[in-house]
Amino acid sequence: MTRKITIDPVTRVEGHGRVTIHLDEYGQVKDSFFHIVEFRGFERFIQGHPYWEAPVLVQRLCGICPVSHHLAAAKAIDQLVGVDPIDLSPTATKLRRLMHYGQVFQSHALHFFYLASPDLLFGVDAPAEKRNVVAVAVENRELAVKGITMRKYGQEIIKAVAGKKIHGILAVPGGVHKTFSEKERDYFLDGKYIENIDTMIEWSIAMVDFMRNYHEANRKFLDDFAYFPSGHLGMVNEMGGLDLYDGKLRAIDSEGNRTLNDISTDLYQQYFTEAVSQWSYMKFPYLKEVGREKGWNRVGPLARLNICEFITTPLAEKARQEFIAFTGKRVNNSTMYSHWARLIEVLHCAEEIKLLLNDPDLMGNDLVRKGTERHKGIGIIEAPRGTLTHHYEVDDKGMITKCNLIVSTTHNNDAMNTAVKWVANNVISRKGHITDGMLNQVEVAIRAYDPCLSCATQAMGKMPLKAEVYNAKGELIDEKSKY
Amino acid sequence: MKNLNIENSNILLVGIGNCGRRDDGLGWKFADLTRQFKAKGIDCEYRYQLQVEDVLMICRYDKVVFADATHTTIKKGFEIRPCAPASHYYYSSHMQSPETILYLAKELYNKTPEAYTLAISGHNWGLGTVLSREAQENLRKAVDFFQKKFLRFINKSTG
Repeated sequence: MTRKITIDPVTRVEGHGRVTIHLDEYGQVKDSFFHIVEFRGFERFIQGHPYWEAPVLVQRLCGICPVSHHLAAAKAIDQLVGVDPIDLSPTATKLRRLMHYGQVFQSHALHFFYLASPDLLFGVDAPAEKRNVVAVAVENRELAVKGITMRKYGQEIIKAVAGKKIHGILAVPGGVHKTFSEKERDYFLDGKYIENIDTMIEWSIAMVDFMRNYHEANRKFLDDFAYFPSGHLGMVNEMGGLDLYDGKLRAIDSEGNRTLNDISTDLYQQYFTEAVSQWSYMKFPYLKEVGREKGWNRVGPLARLNICEFITTPLAEKARQEFIAFTGKRVNNSTMYSHWARLIEVLHCAEEIKLLLNDPDLMGNDLVRKGTERHKGIGIIEAPRGTLTHHYEVDDKGMITKCNLIVSTTHNNDAMNTAVKWVANNVISRKGHITDGMLNQVEVAIRAYDPCLSCATQAMGKMPLKAEVYNAKGELIDEKSKY
Repeated sequence: MKNLNIENSNILLVGIGNCGRRDDGLGWKFADLTRQFKAKGIDCEYRYQLQVEDVLMICRYDKVVFADATHTTIKKGFEIRPCAPASHYYYSSHMQSPETILYLAKELYNKTPEAYTLAISGHNWGLGTVLSREAQENLRKAVDFFQKKFLRFINKSTG
């Protein structure tokens, strides 16, 4: 008799989805799927709206990464008014970067402290009631306080530049609508009202050290768990360094060979296409030239560290070198190293925020530039979860006629499905019975990619992730639902 | 930078909900009306949902009131209850209960503000920004009670 396991909802991820695991008559995993069951469809209903509404409307895709959508859309809309990234004023570029680094900083802090740390501190087999941030707070007060404060710091940065922590507005076509004041800058530097940026850097270093020690203590598990070869995609600057806001697209295969060689973001359509599946609302992007089977790429912190040649800030670069030296491998294909990579990016963002706060351009008054209007605009940024593409086309009246969004989590669709298969095959298969700890490991594998399922499908409503186990007759024999 | 100016306030009102979902906006509307009332010593904040980091916000006040819409039909249209710290955690990172936030305040920062939940009955949860007639009436009653009686009570309490 075959069986099917369902995990529903998958917990501590942003948005809702479902995992199904199909077992054969011997209890061996026959197949597994990570279904995304949310759907909203921003790509369609934004059509007919004036282009300048896009950066405001599309950020409503999500309450977790609205800044990423706001900025990617803004970069695309800049092109519609004839302004390329290089033509933006230094003040506008730097304010947008400040907002972006604040977003990545707070988003990564949220993921590590609130979502991932319970698995790391208590173990993947810990009882469900322990696997949450409240338990972390009780047992590791210092870590919890740092996590909350770091998240808050990033959110305050966003609020200072965009007016609100969630769904604020900074960018307008060709620039930004406000500058930064000395009072606002000092708020983040002097430490009178909140911890200052030097403390954020210090704590970020401590978190990276914590993770390195954690890897030393748990090396085999972290090396092996959900390991699989894959491509990696991200953005780099002209020198090959990590750049989260603007640059060229680069992809490598699992051995480090280039599969996409620093192409202009405007050319993404020539190189990427998307497959669909009957069992998920989330698409499957891949490199046309490499093909559907091997052309998909991981995106996000681990991919970015794999594709870049250096990090532009010194402390994060030192941490990156230690990260590479730890395994001795230039390309890291171990899912669980995503957490370490994410914390290195936290440090990078803190360093960048400090540089920007001390840059007088931030308080300039050259806010908006203009150029010759165009009919097509493409904006790509490295969002916390990976490469995010916004593409708009407009008619002569400036009304949007086409919108294509390739969201970070969508790029990771194949990776997350492969990770689920790894856990199904290596942890659940042929075990006779299925424990809560085993099912949590499915979630641990997905959680490492920090998926934002709302963004990926432009989700609607409350549809949390669920896991189901089916037998060979297709009968539901076990399920987990935490909503 | 609003948070820089709270030193003179000792009561925080947190309006919770989504004003784009009709009666789910009751918490925000209540906060709007409280701000218009200009009661001395009250700050108002707005949240779609409570999040873990909101613990930092409530720690800065002696007294906190969480105002939210409820699906439950309450005979008099609203209900104010004391709220105590309790350890329960929702699976999502961005949807916590007032009790959890109070619990984190106690555990992490050794702060236990005197807290209350104000639940106002809603009836229509569809898309839109206009409250249903029933919700408007319940809101009116809640505001009336809050301004005429509850504020006097909470200002007298030791906190």
